Amino acid sequence: MDPISDNRLMEDVRDGKVERLAILFERHHIMLFNFFLRLTGNRSVSEDLVQDVFLRILKYRETYLSQSRFAVWMYQIARNVHVDHLRKQKPELPIDEQFDEPAAAGPDTVERLSSGEEAATLRRALDRLPLRKKEILLLSRFQGMKYREIAELMGCDIGSIKSTIHRAVKELGKIYFELQGGETP
Amino acid sequence: MTCVTIREGFVDYLTGELPAGDLAEFRGHLASCPACREELEGLSAVWTKLGVLPQESPSGALRSRFYGMLEAYKEGLGKERVRISLGQILSDWLGRLMPRRPAYQIALALVLMAAGLGSGYLMSVRSRSTARTEVAGLRGEVDAMRRIVAVSLLKQASPSERLLGVSWSARIDRPGEEIIQALLDTLNHDANVNVRLAAVDALYLFYNHPEVKEGLIDSLSRQSSALVQMSLISLLVEIRDRRAVEALERLVQDEKLNPKVKKRAELGLVQLS
Repeated sequence: MDPISDNRLMEDVRDGKVERLAILFERHHIMLFNFFLRLTGNRSVSEDLVQDVFLRILKYRETYLSQSRFAVWMYQIARNVHVDHLRKQKPELPIDEQFDEPAAAGPDTVERLSSGEEAATLRRALDRLPLRKKEILLLSRFQGMKYREIAELMGCDIGSIKSTIHRAVKELGKIYFELQGGETP
Repeated sequence: MTCVTIREGFVDYLTGELPAGDLAEFRGHLASCPACREELEGLSAVWTKLGVLPQESPSGALRSRFYGMLEAYKEGLGKERVRISLGQILSDWLGRLMPRRPAYQIALALVLMAAGLGSGYLMSVRSRSTARTEVAGLRGEVDAMRRIVAVSLLKQASPSERLLGVSWSARIDRPGEEIIQALLDTLNHDANVNVRLAAVDALYLFYNHPEVKEGLIDSLSRQSSALVQMSLISLLVEIRDRRAVEALERLVQDEKLNPKVKKRAELGLVQLS
């Protein structure tokens, strides 16, 4: 028997069977946690943000339209949750400017999430990418999203997503190269 | 294809979104163009390198907090439903009864005043019965949610989460086949003795289900831990199932059996006789 689709489960949640959110949580919370972890570099903040996403899913469940994939809707909420988290962190800075500046304050705020110098350098390199580029790159590389879905999620056209991924990969390689002290990846 | 169009396709190539029909031409161009090949190799190296970032696991607290939040939300939702449905019933009822002419409205008010005291008692009885129905419905929903949580926790890698799963199972009023099977599987196959012991305790709560009795008797010969064996023997004696006698007799005959377990099994046989 095929597993019930995410969209069907979310329709049930929308229509009042909120206990079905447990299945969606089990399917997505680890990916979502890793998405936030790569954005924030902080485990406990990432767990709080995951919790916040599911709370908002419950809160806004009646607004769910099943036309697009559930994951797209969920990551839209995840982005909003992350933006609100950034606002709390740096209330004085307009959010548009936060999107253009490096996603994390610097290497000091990044926890050593696991052993491996290579992974640590890569995380530091990712943290130097502007937030928008980093988000799009993570969604494409780790969350398995198609251009069309990322475009829908970010509210822009497919061409701009493609070129952003291209630039992000190029820029990441350059930063990584610098951090490695000149050794190409 | 020109270098410009080829380079536009680099990201498609990395993400696997390059149309299959374009692949041959794409590769053909790369074979003959060192500049494009070099650029793609650079991008591809970074793309592949991202794979070294491991997938991290959140702490067990995240799951507990989520289920706590879900349960709290459901409880709030249940109260909201009761409030809305009672309000709507009252409003519809009054709307239908109210006559349009003022004289009739006054007459109706007088009749209602006279009937008020008498009907008060009946109304309170009815509202209690409605509340009972709503509470029963809510209990059913909470039970269903607990079943989902318990099964999910029992499948986790961490023993503490599986212990939590056993304790969630014990909180279910009507466990159903899925939970009973999950608990029996835990009892027979969990690597951790504490989790298996907790499963014995949880199954005790559901011993009136025939498959539980059968599963417990069957499990006795599968257990290797003396602690779990003794706990199972106590439970089988407690529920006084005659089929347990044969299982205990077989156990006692096992030469490798721990002496303390053997003593407990012999005592059990006396208690069951």
